[in-house]
Amino acid sequence: MIDLLSNLALGFSVAATPQNLMLCLIGCVVGTLVGVLPGVGSLATIAMLLPITFGLPPVGALIMLAGIYYGAQYGGSTTSILVNIPGEATSVVTTLDGYQMARQGRAGPALAIAAIGSFFAGCVATVLIAALGAPLTALALLFGPAEYFSLMTLGLIFAVVLAKGSVVKALGMVLFGLMLSMVGSDLETGVARMTFDVPELADGIGFVNVAMGVFGFAEIMRNVGSGQGSREIVAEKVTGLMPTVADLKVAAPAIGRGTIIGSVLGILPGGGAIIASFAGYTVEKRVSKHPERFGRGAIEGVAAPESANNAAAQTSFIPLLTLGIPPNAVMALMVGAMTIQGIVPGPQVMTKQPDLFWGMIASMWLGNAMLVVINLPMIGIWVRLLRVPYRLLFPCIIVFCCIGLYSINNSPFDLGIASGFAIFGYWLMKHDFEPAPMLLGMILGPLMEENLRRAMLIARGDPTVFLIRPISAGLLLIAVALLVLAVLPNIRKKRDEVFVE
Amino acid sequence: MADQPNLGGRKTGAFIRAPQDFYGGLALVALAVFTLWAGSDLSGMHGFSFGPGTAPRLFAWLLISFGIGVTVMGVIFDGPRLERWSARGVIMTTASILVFATTIRPLGLIISTFAAFMVSASATSETRWVETIIAGAAMSAGCAILFPYILNLPFQLWPQF
Repeated sequence: MIDLLSNLALGFSVAATPQNLMLCLIGCVVGTLVGVLPGVGSLATIAMLLPITFGLPPVGALIMLAGIYYGAQYGGSTTSILVNIPGEATSVVTTLDGYQMARQGRAGPALAIAAIGSFFAGCVATVLIAALGAPLTALALLFGPAEYFSLMTLGLIFAVVLAKGSVVKALGMVLFGLMLSMVGSDLETGVARMTFDVPELADGIGFVNVAMGVFGFAEIMRNVGSGQGSREIVAEKVTGLMPTVADLKVAAPAIGRGTIIGSVLGILPGGGAIIASFAGYTVEKRVSKHPERFGRGAIEGVAAPESANNAAAQTSFIPLLTLGIPPNAVMALMVGAMTIQGIVPGPQVMTKQPDLFWGMIASMWLGNAMLVVINLPMIGIWVRLLRVPYRLLFPCIIVFCCIGLYSINNSPFDLGIASGFAIFGYWLMKHDFEPAPMLLGMILGPLMEENLRRAMLIARGDPTVFLIRPISAGLLLIAVALLVLAVLPNIRKKRDEVFVE
Repeated sequence: MADQPNLGGRKTGAFIRAPQDFYGGLALVALAVFTLWAGSDLSGMHGFSFGPGTAPRLFAWLLISFGIGVTVMGVIFDGPRLERWSARGVIMTTASILVFATTIRPLGLIISTFAAFMVSASATSETRWVETIIAGAAMSAGCAILFPYILNLPFQLWPQF
């Protein structure tokens, strides 16, 4: 406990320097802006801003990038509530009740409760990272290649189980992602794999290009195709920001539950902010005594998912900082940012660079406090921004994404890859495949293959090593149990459908 | 059999009952076979240790089996029919990315941003051209200030001669 306090004190002394405070503020404001604008994801923005962090000191760079990420979770809610379009994928469910509240003239309390919920969740998540950092780091040191492989398998299975739709299709997507990650030079032998002698493919297919293609560009293709042009901002002027005491009473338990769900799902590889917000909403609807109020402006329906996504956005730093495993695409970009700064993500960060670890954690708390202060008065600006029609907005998004992708490697070839994956992403949508498991497979692919090969080599080619080592076996057992749980109700439902005929 | 839900007017007796799954699964199999072919020159196991080709082949065979699984599901269970593609959106969005990619080096940031903006705007019929030209010009001017000067990224602004 005293350790924790002294560590946090160290963290605050690092985070509270004027330069780091400024970077944190910039990150939060940029993140909120990105969150408010529908179609510009936090992934695209972090990718775009990655090159400018090269010149910053490591702590400052990571503080700013983290700020963009959790700032975006927060900004997304504003658009969801005011326009009924999710500003960020993580606030899709917030549209359900948030927009209804806004139509009933309660946009102010909805925005305020989203802010309060996010702040509370951010505080809890910060403490959680601080508290779990040390024990998980100790655990990571017990992990051998077999355990790492099993843990990542569990993560991928999580992504599969939590993806909506068919489990088999999601598994197929994971496998395709793993195969994509194998294009390029083999890590051990240096042999070029599946590159067709294209020099640009020697380093592999950049996952940012794939992510921008299947998430960013494909989404635009779908929107312009469906003629989603008109948007209606309900609240011209947001008045009466403060929620009533009754509102707070109803929302408080929802915020608590949302925070817990979000924190847990954020830590698990394969989880993350998007799933957390859905889970938060579903649970809230289940436990509610009046589930019929949901979808008609229930304040819990705003409080729970918004707390959950913010908590998850922050706790997803835990696997990255303690185990060195990026649990989602944004964290994989953070790996890139850290590597450029000469930091290898993993258990050694905490022991070798305590100022960086604790400084970043402290900055998250400061950043959450800043978000509450800067956002409520800035809502007027966001509303004005949202009046820009989609027909003008989407070309801007495309151009920004192009510049961002190009600036990572100064390579036009990357843009070609991204456009190819844009079409592929559109095809995936039309065939009801989820792209998220594919991306996770691609991110975890190199680490998984490396650990699989090492584990097999140590075990002298005996694949039972994954089942003999207890931690590894336990992780795989959980993975199998999850799969069975996910598949069983599906089979039963489908069988019923068959029998109906 | 008389009171069946209407599945888009399709005959329930048809062989392919969920076209999205059926063709989706076949495409996965095709991708996996392509991987096997692309990696066929890679060496496999050396005694206990994996060669560069082992893992790709392992995952490709797994993908083939899952792809077949998805295809079979498309034959057994009913599902939604194929959706129409909005050709204009897909083509113009792709074209605008490629326009940017091909013009950024020879023509510089200002011209290539404007060109990509204009091409992408034609992805929808809602575009009003006067408004779009003004917005595109403003966007390229903004980018010309934001990226090289404020964010300090090395961009060349105009064509090189």
